[in-house]
Amino acid sequence: MFLIHCPYCGEREQSEFKAGGEAHIVRPKQPTELSDDQWAEYLFMRKNIKGVQFERWVHTHGCRKWFNMVRDTSNDEIKAIYKMGEKPPTKYK
Amino acid sequence: MTNNLRVKSSKFIDETYKISFKFNNKTYYGYKGDTLASALLANNIHLVGRSFKYHRPRGIMTAGSEEPNAIVQLHKNTSRTEPNVRATEVEIYEGLEASSQNCWPSVNFDLGGINNFLSPVLPAGFYYKTFMWPASFWGKYEYFIRKSAGLGKSPTEPDPDIYEHKYIHCDVLVIGAGISGIIAAKTSAKNGFKTLLIDEKPHLGGSTIYQNSDHFKINNQISSSWLEKEINEIKKIDNLKIKTRTSVAAFHGYNFLLARENLTDHLPLHQRDEKVRHRLLKIRTKKVICATGSLERPLVFNNNDRPGILLSSAIEKYSNLFGVACGQKNVLFTNNDSAYETAISLFQKGINIEAIIDNRENVDSKLVKEIEKNNIKIYKGYTVVNTFGYKRINKISIMQLSKDGQKVVGSKISIDCDCLGMSGGWTPAVHLFTQSGGKLKFRDEDQVFIPDTYPSDQISIGSCNGEFTLDEILSSISKKLKDFLNIKKTEYENLEIQSHFNKTKRNIWLLPSDKIIGKTKPFVDYQNDATAKDIKLALREGFRSIEHVKRYTTTGMGTDQGKLGNMHALGIISETAGSRMGELGTTTFRPPYTPLTFGTIVGRNVGEYFDVSRKTPIHDWHVENKAKFENVGQWKRAWFYPKENEGMHEAVQRESKAARDSAGILDASTLGKIDIQGTDASEFLNRVYTNAWSKLAIGKCRYGLMLNEDGMVYDDGVTTRLDENHYIMTTTTGGAATVLSKLEDYLQTEWPELDVYLTSVTDHYATISVCGPNSKKIISKVIPNLDLSDEKFPHMSFKNTKIDKVTCRVMRISFTGEQSYEINIQANYGKSVWDKCMQAGKEFNITPYGTETMHLLRAEKGFIIVGQDTDATMTPIDLQMDWIVSKKKYDFIGKRSLYRSDTIRDDRKQLIGLVTENPKEVLEEGAQIVLDANKSPVEMLGHVTSSYYSPNLKKSIALGVVKGGKNMMGQKLIIPMENKQINVTVTDPVFLDKENKRLNA
Amino acid sequence: MLNYSNPITEEKSYSGLQMREVKPIMKLILRGKKREFLSAVGKSLNLILPAEANTFTKSDKLTALWLSPDEWMIFSNEASHIGSNDYQIENLLNKSICKTNLGAVTDVTDQFVLINLKGDKIYDLFETGSPFNFNDFRKKKASVTQTILAKIDVIIQNETQNDVNLFVKRSFSQHLFSWMNDTASRL
Repeated sequence: MFLIHCPYCGEREQSEFKAGGEAHIVRPKQPTELSDDQWAEYLFMRKNIKGVQFERWVHTHGCRKWFNMVRDTSNDEIKAIYKMGEKPPTKYK
Repeated sequence: MTNNLRVKSSKFIDETYKISFKFNNKTYYGYKGDTLASALLANNIHLVGRSFKYHRPRGIMTAGSEEPNAIVQLHKNTSRTEPNVRATEVEIYEGLEASSQNCWPSVNFDLGGINNFLSPVLPAGFYYKTFMWPASFWGKYEYFIRKSAGLGKSPTEPDPDIYEHKYIHCDVLVIGAGISGIIAAKTSAKNGFKTLLIDEKPHLGGSTIYQNSDHFKINNQISSSWLEKEINEIKKIDNLKIKTRTSVAAFHGYNFLLARENLTDHLPLHQRDEKVRHRLLKIRTKKVICATGSLERPLVFNNNDRPGILLSSAIEKYSNLFGVACGQKNVLFTNNDSAYETAISLFQKGINIEAIIDNRENVDSKLVKEIEKNNIKIYKGYTVVNTFGYKRINKISIMQLSKDGQKVVGSKISIDCDCLGMSGGWTPAVHLFTQSGGKLKFRDEDQVFIPDTYPSDQISIGSCNGEFTLDEILSSISKKLKDFLNIKKTEYENLEIQSHFNKTKRNIWLLPSDKIIGKTKPFVDYQNDATAKDIKLALREGFRSIEHVKRYTTTGMGTDQGKLGNMHALGIISETAGSRMGELGTTTFRPPYTPLTFGTIVGRNVGEYFDVSRKTPIHDWHVENKAKFENVGQWKRAWFYPKENEGMHEAVQRESKAARDSAGILDASTLGKIDIQGTDASEFLNRVYTNAWSKLAIGKCRYGLMLNEDGMVYDDGVTTRLDENHYIMTTTTGGAATVLSKLEDYLQTEWPELDVYLTSVTDHYATISVCGPNSKKIISKVIPNLDLSDEKFPHMSFKNTKIDKVTCRVMRISFTGEQSYEINIQANYGKSVWDKCMQAGKEFNITPYGTETMHLLRAEKGFIIVGQDTDATMTPIDLQMDWIVSKKKYDFIGKRSLYRSDTIRDDRKQLIGLVTENPKEVLEEGAQIVLDANKSPVEMLGHVTSSYYSPNLKKSIALGVVKGGKNMMGQKLIIPMENKQINVTVTDPVFLDKENKRLNA
Repeated sequence: MLNYSNPITEEKSYSGLQMREVKPIMKLILRGKKREFLSAVGKSLNLILPAEANTFTKSDKLTALWLSPDEWMIFSNEASHIGSNDYQIENLLNKSICKTNLGAVTDVTDQFVLINLKGDKIYDLFETGSPFNFNDFRKKKASVTQTILAKIDVIIQNETQNDVNLFVKRSFSQHLFSWMNDTASRL
């Protein structure tokens, strides 16, 4: 059970949150112009990293806001949290 | 009362408070303060159980939670009875009843004991090897194996006790209230940290609190007296909470720990009523100080498991803390100085010591000298090679160890005894530390694993960190606490410490015997009867990983999880395989540290509180009118309303008929409702629904289908345009929460530029749907001033109005195909409006109907239910709902996926209607659909998704999904059932009123 | 006249804890991001919406709870009368906020049930079923939070340590109240 620092509400228990998969996958602006393969890349392909991973989380039982998290999946250390639309911290890339 | 083994009084035992209890149906007495183990020992009872595999007689071995042998069945009654309780942890109370486990007919005469004599043919892996063949015999073997499996009996009736959970947030958690823990807790609390101190025992002070020797002094006071003062002081500190009888079960990441607080197990049964038995503490703390102490190691030698063989430290504790002598002819067997501490304690109390057997040849510490001074015989450089006595040890034989310790030499000496204390040194209790993710390192000099790297803000102090002597602990604790708590000073900087413990130890994992190993029984895991030779056999058979050896030999797999024996198993493996201990690693220490009952884990989440239940504003009416309920998500929904002798079928047929013949009324309050506002609301709806929304006039309603990005149908419902920038969306009952969060996801992450706000209003409204040919008349009575003419109030439109003075919204939408009106009113007026509708509908025989009838009515019309007729693999095209997919819109969620190579296949499963050859035959939902049942293997074409007997059409109807079903109209198919085949024909899914005449009838 | 049926009819009293539903209380959700939204609300209500997370503000007539950076709940301090749901304030805000496209106003009067708790055991009750850390929260002036209690979403508004308002969605309210009573009976 993590302690997650919601960028809006502050530190809360993990049970107030839900994970929403990999971050920074942008929905294509013009889906109709994509090939099946290109669309499948957006739709299905996700990383599953042992190590530093960029994730989306939402404070479901709090402010209901989505945000991004940088988490090391090998030891669950949360390295950074930043709002939607903000640039990911470069040092973990 | 044969209290002859109660020696000098102890201040922890109240001899004025006598307690009677039963063990194996016989009454005994003990005193307040006794554990079941100490009380039995005081009554000279050692034999308390039988081992798991060989049914060997076993006695009490320890005085704590690490006990492998003395596990008993507690309570007689069938609801409270509890197996595998450690007698060493049970505090006795008046009326306690305990009995031995794993023996029949009794612990004294156990038929299973024959396994002991069969043991040469019951080696490690016996079951795996023997019952493998012939494979067809497994069924027969299983019966016998199951009979002999498991320890103790489970309760057969519901648990009468109450369990609760509690969340605790603190700055510092100290685990273990021995001398290190007490010092740490006091320092932490006095420096302003909100501190919690936890110990599994009923009293504080660990093993120091009953230390009476002059050899261990702090500031010139005997260590126990010094500690007692400290304990008295900490009890007065405000921001320090102390919880005894509380054991930490799990130490998770982010300093989240679970602990079980035991509140009533020490009380007589009649004092437990209405009280919480256990409380599971969910502790979130900034810092953790582990002061969990250490466990004394047994020694591994031939027949080291007889009743009367205990850990040396346990003998000391029974004597000092409980005032009980474990035997009258005691022998101690050791490889280090600890046994001499025990010897001095016994000597002080006048308990007889026959001899001390010491593996070490050259020992001359102060403790050893004091024993020699008192003329107690010490055999230096000797080892025990065998023990005798079936139900109680009565003799040992000893021999001298060779220089390398691998053999015994010289002649055998026999010594009579009735109690043997053994000490193989100490193992730091690092279980919780490793659970938290901490990594261990191996210290070669005394062969122990100690904490190395910490995964969170925590430290280990005292003997769990490998500091075994008083001076080691006290000389370093101050600096450690200062660094860890970031404070300037402590009150423990200049303690004057006197500690005469010599640390030399002669560690031999498997002590040699004069017999070859095959003829000996050197137990490593007592509870599971795993011996050193089983481990060696496993290695011979090729097992190398410690995790594999563990599972093959079952070492460490008992209820005690190998707290005593795991280190010896590792030692023997490394010696035999020639690998280094540090490299071998350990098995994984998994939570819980000591067993938890299921009651503790579930807490109050039982019965009524097992799951959350949601009720509509009209719920009470349904209850009063004897509705049967069904769970839809967390909602309790009225399912059907049986009259007198009706079953479900009769009730549903009656309700369905009434709704089409005259009028029906449904509580639809559970439907999800989302208020949508903002200048981009129309654009937003365009993007989330498959159809177009911009041109929907204010005051109009429209049905919409929502897809996932993969093109599969996700939810559906009617959305109404209340104003230029204001909509209200309805979702399915089960989908409400996920739809809202999905929409929020898109708004916040993909389309933050849209000016749209979503607010859930599901609970704000009661929704009452009145349908049927007479619905208009009923509504006109309830809301007389509302113009219900089809011109002013057509299908798929809404009106704002008032009932009395309460504003409400009436929508003309239909899920049944009948003319229907849906009143949405503030929830607290819902029941009253429902009553009004019932009153107004009386003359039209208005019939309340539940979800089952609703499903039947919509199936007659071929309307889908998302989640019943769809299963996240159905596109709108598969559902034959092409009409709702806009061709003009550039994009919407899921659009691109509708023409992937997979989604445009012709042979996808598609929704169709099914009618049976025999109109009375109702199909089973979920039944498979095939073309040719005789072909092998049979090709599965699809399955039935909805099926009913329609009272309005007077025939059986069904919906199903069939591969390529769209082009199969009129095709005959087969539903193969267990005893018959049912012939069906594919039809259009709309069975009733294809022209929608009834909507305006 | 329509009958009014609120979900929690009993007032419950335990040593150190009293619990009752307060009704009817007008409740509105206000949504908006722009600075003009905040000032328009301020002007209409004579109440500044709290900008700081996890806090609330109060005027004679209204209390405003922070729920998220663009969401607030306002509710009336005094019970309104039964039998009507035409709220002057809602109409006022509809004009100043919705019609001007500054944000959204939604009536949630019956979406949420307001349970008032009084006594010194309120937080002992909460700690039995909520993972939220109330250590500082209970001592803070004007603190509010959304969290989970007995697996149910709640809004907790701390007037003082011994006087707390709890908001729960109506359909969950009877279950939650039953759980609260069960737990309170053992505090």
